[in-house]
Amino acid sequence: MENNYLADLWNSSPIVCVVLTGLVLLLVESVRRGSGRLSYAVSLVGLASAGVLIVAVGDVAQPAFNNMIVQGPYAQFFTVIFLVTGILTILLSRGYLDRQGIHRSEYYLLVVFAISGMMLLAYAMDLIVVFLGIELMSICLYILAGFMRTRGTSMEAALKYFLLGAFATGFLLYGIALIYGSTGTTNLEQIAKSFAEHSASPMFLVGVSFLLVAFAFKVAAVPFHMWAPDVYEGAPTMVTAFMSTGVKAAGFAAFVAVFMRSFQYAGSPVNDVLAAIAAASMIIGNVTALAQVNLKRMLAYSSVAHAGYILVGLAAGNADGFMGILFYLVAYVVVNVGAFGILSLVEDSNGQKLSYDDYAGFSAQRPFLAALMSIFMFSLAGIPPFAGFFGKYYVFLAAVKADMIWLAVLGVLTSLVSVYYYLRLVILMYFREGSGDVAVRPTWAAMLSIGFAAYLVIQFGIFPSIVVDAALKVF
Amino acid sequence: MDLYAIIFYLFAVITLGSATIVVFSKNVVYSAFALLFALFGVAGLYVLLMADFLAITQLLVYVGGILVLVLFGVMLTTKVFDVQMKTKTIQMVPAVAILGLLSGTIVGVFWSTDWYISENPIDVAKTAPQIGNMLLTTYLLPFEIASVVLLVALIGAAMIARRERKG
Amino acid sequence: MISVEQYLALSAVMFVIGVVGVLVRRNAIIVFMSIELMLNSVNLTLVAFSAYLGDVTGQMLVFFVMTVAAAEAAVGLAIIIALYRIRQTVNIDDINILKW
Repeated sequence: MENNYLADLWNSSPIVCVVLTGLVLLLVESVRRGSGRLSYAVSLVGLASAGVLIVAVGDVAQPAFNNMIVQGPYAQFFTVIFLVTGILTILLSRGYLDRQGIHRSEYYLLVVFAISGMMLLAYAMDLIVVFLGIELMSICLYILAGFMRTRGTSMEAALKYFLLGAFATGFLLYGIALIYGSTGTTNLEQIAKSFAEHSASPMFLVGVSFLLVAFAFKVAAVPFHMWAPDVYEGAPTMVTAFMSTGVKAAGFAAFVAVFMRSFQYAGSPVNDVLAAIAAASMIIGNVTALAQVNLKRMLAYSSVAHAGYILVGLAAGNADGFMGILFYLVAYVVVNVGAFGILSLVEDSNGQKLSYDDYAGFSAQRPFLAALMSIFMFSLAGIPPFAGFFGKYYVFLAAVKADMIWLAVLGVLTSLVSVYYYLRLVILMYFREGSGDVAVRPTWAAMLSIGFAAYLVIQFGIFPSIVVDAALKVF
Repeated sequence: MDLYAIIFYLFAVITLGSATIVVFSKNVVYSAFALLFALFGVAGLYVLLMADFLAITQLLVYVGGILVLVLFGVMLTTKVFDVQMKTKTIQMVPAVAILGLLSGTIVGVFWSTDWYISENPIDVAKTAPQIGNMLLTTYLLPFEIASVVLLVALIGAAMIARRERKG
Repeated sequence: MISVEQYLALSAVMFVIGVVGVLVRRNAIIVFMSIELMLNSVNLTLVAFSAYLGDVTGQMLVFFVMTVAAAEAAVGLAIIIALYRIRQTVNIDDINILKW
């Protein structure tokens, strides 16, 4: 078998670029010890050049490395999400890390390697690459969750995330093993082909359900969401931001790729299970979020609920559903980076000032930030004309088209519930007197990235066609 | 019963017995040593399944590497985790229920599936060359990713476990 | 000759023992060892399939699983030790971890 490895390298050049950035960061750390500022600059340049490469490579679908990965519009779409998330996270992180006294260059290195793992998930055409991509991403995040080594809650979050993550890996691998056993391959394309020849064996369905457990864990869907609130609360706020956006998007990149490319032939039992998980996530996520006092926990449960909304699109299993998922993810990721960014600005150096009450009267002290936070909350609640509204609209529409009207109705009802806890924050910021001791010292980079996130939320809300066109090209 | 079957059942009993001790033993040190036997039993089963090279790797990586790490972990942290252990009891009833239900389902599915069994068994003499060949051709990309995973784990473990520079 | 089902059943039981360990034990290191049991049973499944399918790919996959298991072991035990260090110096009473 002849291989043109140069062509393969070119097709995978965005991933290669990100990995190389990570290696350069390692060198920077060893040459100029503790130089956080240099690492900050290098990681931004590296991610930006990966962005240039992803455009240069083009969107013609091309397999590479013996069909292990495939470059194409799907990979491109998700890579752009990961790179934008990564850049915004890094811009916001520097000031946050300084305030918390943990500004070390390893942070950037781990974020960059985590992004390379996420990109592999979007490119993956083989279950082995899915597995290794998830591991590369997760191992970086286990460490990032415990980045505040002196704070007990951060280390507890790291341990909990690690143990449950490794547990989910066990399920992922057992699923892969059973699928390998029943089809003789791990390549997604060939798995799909083996269905065309003979129908799914019960063994294969067991394998698929094990994969489902693993993915549900990674995207924090009920009943595998229990880790999310504690880990989100304990991890450093910007790491939580990265987790709830990048990791969730990457989890869905793999989830959708695997189910779209090969398992859709497995038929309706899988879709029914997905619908049940989606429904449970929407109900439990939204109802539990109502009771939260801490904003990080509230956003954690809200992220469980949003995983449910995205799964509605996957359960629908039609082209509208997949398009809806992509739009929803873009809207969700942008909003969450912004919202967590503001939380990270208000948080003090002891990890306090994260509850609802700390935001009372926030608009009087920081009118601009309060306005941006309100935009993010409106978008999360799905109120037009912000991006979140169209995300929900598209996935619910897909559910209706797939004759899952009950799921769409449930989605709308739970969205109404969510309005309460999102708008509670807005009301507190605007209509309550605060104690006035919130000290916010945002850096320019942080303000710029939060502003940019808000701009995108409005832009995609008013002109959703920008994202829709890009998403339609994918399928 | 031929010799192959006797050896299989021997290793199966060693593996499952030690696995049970790992999970249900009240003493972490016993668990760690039971893990040694479980890993050893699995290595024996690899040999029966014509995976000679893997059996050796299993001994080197798991028994020689991971188990030693676990033992270090046990020795460095016993004090704290002892405190916790005395306050918790193992809920045997739900544990056995899960064990029976889940393994019953999976095993039932195994028996109801018609397995495709190849006429051409693996050539034991060639497993190592074949694996080496595949690692550098078909599986080149996963091989490279695995190296990045190890690098990240190395950096991360060193960063998180070392002491603070100041105080 | 032992049939493939017997190997698979053995590894399934081992996998479930690992799952039970993760669910019922509260000691971080024992949970970690239970996860190692799960990964080993996956490897056994892969090797059994590989032998009966006459295809070395299954053995190949085991190498990647082992690599990742080693990486996870390093990171996981580093986290456990770092946590221990904080506990020892800070407060041993507020162990509210591992209640999931």
